[in-house]
Amino acid sequence: MRLRTRNMILLSVASAVVFTTAGCGGGLLSSEDSGASGASGPVKLGMVVPISGSSAPTGAYMKNGAQLAVDEINKAGGVLKGRKLELIVEDEACDAQQAVASANKVVTAGVVVSVGGYCSGATLPTLPIFQKANLPMIIPAANSQELVTQGLANVFMINGTGKQQSTTALAFMKKAGYTTVALVDDNTSYSKDITTETASQIQKDGSVKVLLKTSVTPGESDYSAVVRNIMAKKPALVYWTGYYQEGGLIINQLKKAGFSGKTMVADGSVDPSLTKIAGAGAEGVFATMTQTPDTLKGAEKWIANYKAKFKADPGPFSTQSYDAVRLAAKAIEDAGTTEGGDITKALEAIDGFPMFSGPLKFTPEHTLSSGGFVILVTKHGKFTLDNTLS
Amino acid sequence: MTQLIWDGLFVGSFYALIALGYSMVYGIIKLLNFAHGDIYMLGAFIGFALLTSMGGIPASLSLGALLVVLLVSMLLTGTAGVIIERLAYRPLRGAPRLAVLITAVGVSFSLEYGIAAIAGPNPRAYPIRLEGGVFEVLGARVSLPQIILMLIAAGLMIALNGYIQRTSTGRAMRSISLDANASLLMGINVNAVITRTFFIGSALAGAAGVMAGAYYGKIDFLMGFIIGLKAFTAAVIGGIGNIKGAMLGGLVLGFVEAFGTEWFGGQWRDVFAFAVLIIFLTLRPTGILGERVTERM
Amino acid sequence: MSDNVDTTQAPRKIGPPRTRISRLLESRQLGWIALAVALLAPFVTATPYALNVMTTAAIFVMLASGLNIVVGYCGLLDLGYIAFMAVGAYTAGIVSRSFELPLIFTIPVVLVMTVLAGLIIGVPTLRLRSDYLAIVTLGFGEITRITANNLTITGGPSGIFGIPGLLKIGDFDVQEPAVLYYVTALVVAVFVLASARLGKSRLGRAWRFVREDEDAAEAMGIHTYRVKLLAYIFGAVWGGLGGVLFAAHLSAVSPRSFIFLQSALVLMAVVMGGMGNMRGVVIGALVISLAPELLREMAAHRYLAFGLLLVVVMVFRPQGFWPARGYERDLATVDADDAAVARGERR
Repeated sequence: MRLRTRNMILLSVASAVVFTTAGCGGGLLSSEDSGASGASGPVKLGMVVPISGSSAPTGAYMKNGAQLAVDEINKAGGVLKGRKLELIVEDEACDAQQAVASANKVVTAGVVVSVGGYCSGATLPTLPIFQKANLPMIIPAANSQELVTQGLANVFMINGTGKQQSTTALAFMKKAGYTTVALVDDNTSYSKDITTETASQIQKDGSVKVLLKTSVTPGESDYSAVVRNIMAKKPALVYWTGYYQEGGLIINQLKKAGFSGKTMVADGSVDPSLTKIAGAGAEGVFATMTQTPDTLKGAEKWIANYKAKFKADPGPFSTQSYDAVRLAAKAIEDAGTTEGGDITKALEAIDGFPMFSGPLKFTPEHTLSSGGFVILVTKHGKFTLDNTLS
Repeated sequence: MTQLIWDGLFVGSFYALIALGYSMVYGIIKLLNFAHGDIYMLGAFIGFALLTSMGGIPASLSLGALLVVLLVSMLLTGTAGVIIERLAYRPLRGAPRLAVLITAVGVSFSLEYGIAAIAGPNPRAYPIRLEGGVFEVLGARVSLPQIILMLIAAGLMIALNGYIQRTSTGRAMRSISLDANASLLMGINVNAVITRTFFIGSALAGAAGVMAGAYYGKIDFLMGFIIGLKAFTAAVIGGIGNIKGAMLGGLVLGFVEAFGTEWFGGQWRDVFAFAVLIIFLTLRPTGILGERVTERM
Repeated sequence: MSDNVDTTQAPRKIGPPRTRISRLLESRQLGWIALAVALLAPFVTATPYALNVMTTAAIFVMLASGLNIVVGYCGLLDLGYIAFMAVGAYTAGIVSRSFELPLIFTIPVVLVMTVLAGLIIGVPTLRLRSDYLAIVTLGFGEITRITANNLTITGGPSGIFGIPGLLKIGDFDVQEPAVLYYVTALVVAVFVLASARLGKSRLGRAWRFVREDEDAAEAMGIHTYRVKLLAYIFGAVWGGLGGVLFAAHLSAVSPRSFIFLQSALVLMAVVMGGMGNMRGVVIGALVISLAPELLREMAAHRYLAFGLLLVVVMVFRPQGFWPARGYERDLATVDADDAAVARGERR
């Protein structure tokens, strides 16, 4: 029984220690406000992007773009009369559970606005967390329609939505004369979003015909089944809405099979590696994409700044992340406070704020009023601007 | 239709090459090497490393360079297989089956994320690609690279079969798979034969990896996971422990998958393959050519 | 010939705990101490992040205790265990979204579905040898995930989100992070206790017998097939209820949460903690779920570390860091013990 008594004593001592320290620190009984950063000190922005996993490179582009903006703004005097901006970055790893933990982490760290979000599947579960903490979210990359269908007041998307991408795709198909198309997705949420939306817009419009709408399993090497299917149906254009790994393979295998039509990819496949993997089929591939730094007019200086600072080239979503931070700073300035509700109102009121994707005004749905999607085409292994729609 | 058959056969030959390694190792030490698919991935990456280090190669020499790289990769992958056997499986020779299986899972993870740590998590494009002449055969579009690869695979499999049937090591392998203790008593150096088995099985998987890299063009650190499961399915279909069965099983699985995706759609491909596995194990566990896998009840 | 155990080597005799630390760790009070720590932890830190991480860890402990029944007690290597959690989470999500019910009312349906899942997966596979069992269960895990990804009723690749909370009575909302954590911790404690009790019961002994030597167990009159199926079903129920907690915790369920990696992580917790030892498994589960949060900088290499650790543990200490001590006396070293008993020197 000595063991039992000893354990009981240990337990009581431990409880006593815990209860006495409970008043301090962030425990249940403490009166400390774990949220707001108070009226002085740095204004923190939270960024939940992929740091590990297969989307890690894009996370790096986004983090750097945001950091560039933070440093520029701080150099120009910061916000709210001299308070510096601070960027807190956490990993979403494109996984719901980790994204949720990271979102909680940045909320606990006292951020004022969230400027992250790449994988829609990982960003969706974080919405209620930020909403509960009354923090506005400016999402620079994730663009699944589901993000706005819930109608949460604090969510703002500054990347073109799946709907807007589909509209651009359809406009291109009509203008360039591709009257028969095949829509192929990789059975993930972002990708399927686009094909479903495109199919329904095509149906409403009536001038283009969808010969095939199908999915493939990502992560494989052999896509002969979908290639056979496409060869049998013979569409003029194949629209692939998944990521570049599978996109490159499909384009390559289509070329090997002797496909005579053209291919178009959605923004998830716009990556230099697409052309490398596509090999012989790499030339002349179209893409619907929001502006990247190297296709924007007048962005040379920005690119030079980025390169000088990070010793690397910018990539997809660097500019959107840059703009997200600038937008957050502007909204904070307009609101004059770090209160979430006021910043949200300020965001809604913004009209004509200059961003890389054009002057900003949010729709009532909190999406961009113009998607900012353009058409790109591959030339000599690189994506360049195509003029069909301009 | 003929296109479907040809496509199925082509994919099937990859499955068969990898299933061979599975079957051989299982036959000899009754272990399902869960990490075998990752050996395939390792081979692909070793080939990639060799090709990139060789710098620019004129297009006319590309097939030759590829063959050289294939051989070297096979050697290196085989060696890797031997090292893994020594470090992870031999110490557990007498241990409960569960322990060895779990170790294999650990090896699989180590290989996958080890390569991810070294080469980065992003997919890589093979510097040398097999492109080539295409011609129509009975309504199917057949390309020269496909034929070359299938010939190489067939050659390797025939060589293996000859090795097992005609050499003393091959006889030793067959004898150990029948009765390990008796073989030991008959003076067979069991350890050496096991090592050789791992070497050959891993070399074959490595060959498949390099060929996949050269043909499809893309490699990534998780490519071995699903291929390993498919290869296991192929081995089971053909009858595990049976060399000819593994070859047959690979081709059959390639076929069956091609038909399955044609009917059900690409997103059900893996479900279809696993369903075939489960059906075979439930209804015909011996496979087409092989031994019993169920417990004595 | 039994293929589970190498009978040519004498088993290590594991006697009663000797050092003070061992006695403390083996004592009954440890469970109460652990529970007390779990209950008091929020008083030390109750930030949303900490509560989130602790709730996730508690759910993981539940999963590990369920898999411990399947792998640890009964020796069935299940590489697709996460499928049971998926069934539970999706069922709870779909039912509560379609009928606008708080999650707690979906539990009966979840129980039915998980038992069904346990039967569907168990019936064809339990006749197979352990290696095949492993791969087939992996196959079932993948089938479950891909099916959830492809069907509309499960929300396709986006999954189900906006799942209502566990329970809300007036102003008292169980979804409040602190309340949710307490509810989760208590539920998990109950189930961990239950699985430990199961281990000590007659069924638990039958499981261990089947794990050690299935042929002998069959010869002794144990219906091994039934016993194995029961292990599966218990594991399924534990996993399914863990899924309900998961749905409550994240309010969203998507197929990406049920990839093979998750099954492997639960397995690692069970293996490293000591298969069959519930306490060890709990600790293993806590380590595996908390370590990534504490070592965030090493995030990219955590799976490499886990893989290597698994190999190292299996090669050098296959019984896990905290092996299960037999509850019966070890009868393998028969002669000396029997003689001692006969002489009255030992009980």
